[in-house]
Amino acid sequence: MAQFALVIDLNTCVGCHACATNCKEWNTQAAFGPLSDFDPYGAHPEGVWYNRIMTYEMGEFPNTQVFHLPKSCLHCQDAPCVPVCPTGASYKREQDGIVLVNYDDCIGCKLCSWSCPYGCREYDEADKVMKKCTLCIDRIYDESLPPEHRKPACVLTCPARARFFGDIEDPESEVYKVIEERNGFVLFPDMGTNPGNHYLPRIETKINIEEFEKHILKPDNPLFLEVMKRHHVSNKGHVPEEKQVEEVV
Amino acid sequence: MHPPMSLIFFFLTAGTSIGLFIFMYAIEFLKLFGKGQGLPQEVILKLGVLELILIGLGAFGASFHLGHKLRAWKAIKRFRTSWLSREAVFSGAYGFTLLVYLVLNQVGANPFFEHLFGILTFVLGILSGFSTAMIYASNKFVLEWNSSITVIYYLLMYLMLGSTLMAYFSYLYNLPYLGVFIFLSFLFIALAFGFRLAFNIRQFYLKRPTLNEALNLPHNRPMRVIDTGSTTDNYCTEEFFYRRGKEMLSTVIPLAYLITFLVPLFLVLYAWITGTANHWIFGLTYLFVLFGSALERWSFFVEGNHVQNLFYGLYPEQGYTLRKGFMERKETKISLYG
Repeated sequence: MAQFALVIDLNTCVGCHACATNCKEWNTQAAFGPLSDFDPYGAHPEGVWYNRIMTYEMGEFPNTQVFHLPKSCLHCQDAPCVPVCPTGASYKREQDGIVLVNYDDCIGCKLCSWSCPYGCREYDEADKVMKKCTLCIDRIYDESLPPEHRKPACVLTCPARARFFGDIEDPESEVYKVIEERNGFVLFPDMGTNPGNHYLPRIETKINIEEFEKHILKPDNPLFLEVMKRHHVSNKGHVPEEKQVEEVV
Repeated sequence: MHPPMSLIFFFLTAGTSIGLFIFMYAIEFLKLFGKGQGLPQEVILKLGVLELILIGLGAFGASFHLGHKLRAWKAIKRFRTSWLSREAVFSGAYGFTLLVYLVLNQVGANPFFEHLFGILTFVLGILSGFSTAMIYASNKFVLEWNSSITVIYYLLMYLMLGSTLMAYFSYLYNLPYLGVFIFLSFLFIALAFGFRLAFNIRQFYLKRPTLNEALNLPHNRPMRVIDTGSTTDNYCTEEFFYRRGKEMLSTVIPLAYLITFLVPLFLVLYAWITGTANHWIFGLTYLFVLFGSALERWSFFVEGNHVQNLFYGLYPEQGYTLRKGFMERKETKISLYG
């Protein structure tokens, strides 16, 4: 069975929120919109977003790494939000594995959001129905678009090319290959949801600060004098005037 | 979790209605076997109408939880998989069979049909309560709820509401069952209290997931949420984390224990030991149980911690050192450090 999904490369995602913004833009104007906004220019702007980007820090100072995690509906293969829906509004398409909500049947009981361990469903207070990422189903099957544009809005807009889209069950697809080659992983594997969306792990980049300083700050380095000079100037430049006077005294 | 007031209201009304019917019909059922005298017809009518009104009010009140109330009938579609669907079907069927039973009882119809509908209502009432409890107990992403204890004490609280009100009506209508219902009130309040305590104690021993597990990262790397991507709260943080409630929880839980269980237990014991019987003591017992249950339900929701809160750094922390051995044994799929 086909399973359309996103693969996100955590190495190249820079957390620019372009995917989230373009997702909101497309889904507000297209077939599944609108995604409501409340108090958009006020002190507490809130609204419905299909895609949110979290930022995490891993490790202990100074050896820390910051990474950004874009999180939209993961289109789980064993989606727990589907069986709990009392009306059948929440359903998983057999032909492509995309999980959707039928807005005409949704009664807004919120039980599907309670049954999602990822917090990827959001209740629209204006429309009184549950909303979630559709994988831009209205784009990917739109034959009026050029084939290269039949992708989710977030994939097309990502300036870092951190997002891939395709059938993760098809060995010929780009996403299948990239998951295999780069050890793609899923969120919360213990929850038994078998998510479709995968993430590509970050490749380690380690800088040994002491080694770095030893290498740069040695007398035979032609840049040594320049570095020391700049170091001295920059240090002095940050010292307040009063303190400088005291030091001279 | 954010406590929905309409669901708390449904618990109180449906709980009282179903609990009361269970005891009312139990007396009628025992009469079939020559045990007891049964209830006068006008008492059955009054109690039955009250039960009907309560379940109707409950269904009406619970609909305020829904975004689209007029589509509520569609909730019967997924009976095979959804506990919410089963709850809707069983509650509706309970109300319907209750009405039929009352009519058959009042017109003096064939006892076979009367008791057929009586038994049906009895079973549907229990199934309705069970389904409601299972909505919470089957949610494996709220670990506090995900236990059979949740179901047992939920049903016991239905019986507690029913038995205390039945004790009141036994006194009010001068029925010969006052002693029985004083004993049953004591029994169900004590049992519900015991299981509610077990529910709370269990929370200390839960193996909670960590942010590392949520992100599928190595367990020995400290993780910290730096930014959640929005300047204000959103649906996820408000629905699954009730900030104000969490602050009040340490006050409300002891208060709920006191009002729901301890004071009513004292009142029932006092009536039992001293032989005191008046409106006040039985009326107050039920009112304490009722208002206490509202607080207890509120606490139940606020106590629930959804695992999605991990992504926002709002999940209760598991002692890192406590879980160290457990974490080291776990296999992880990827390693960021080679």
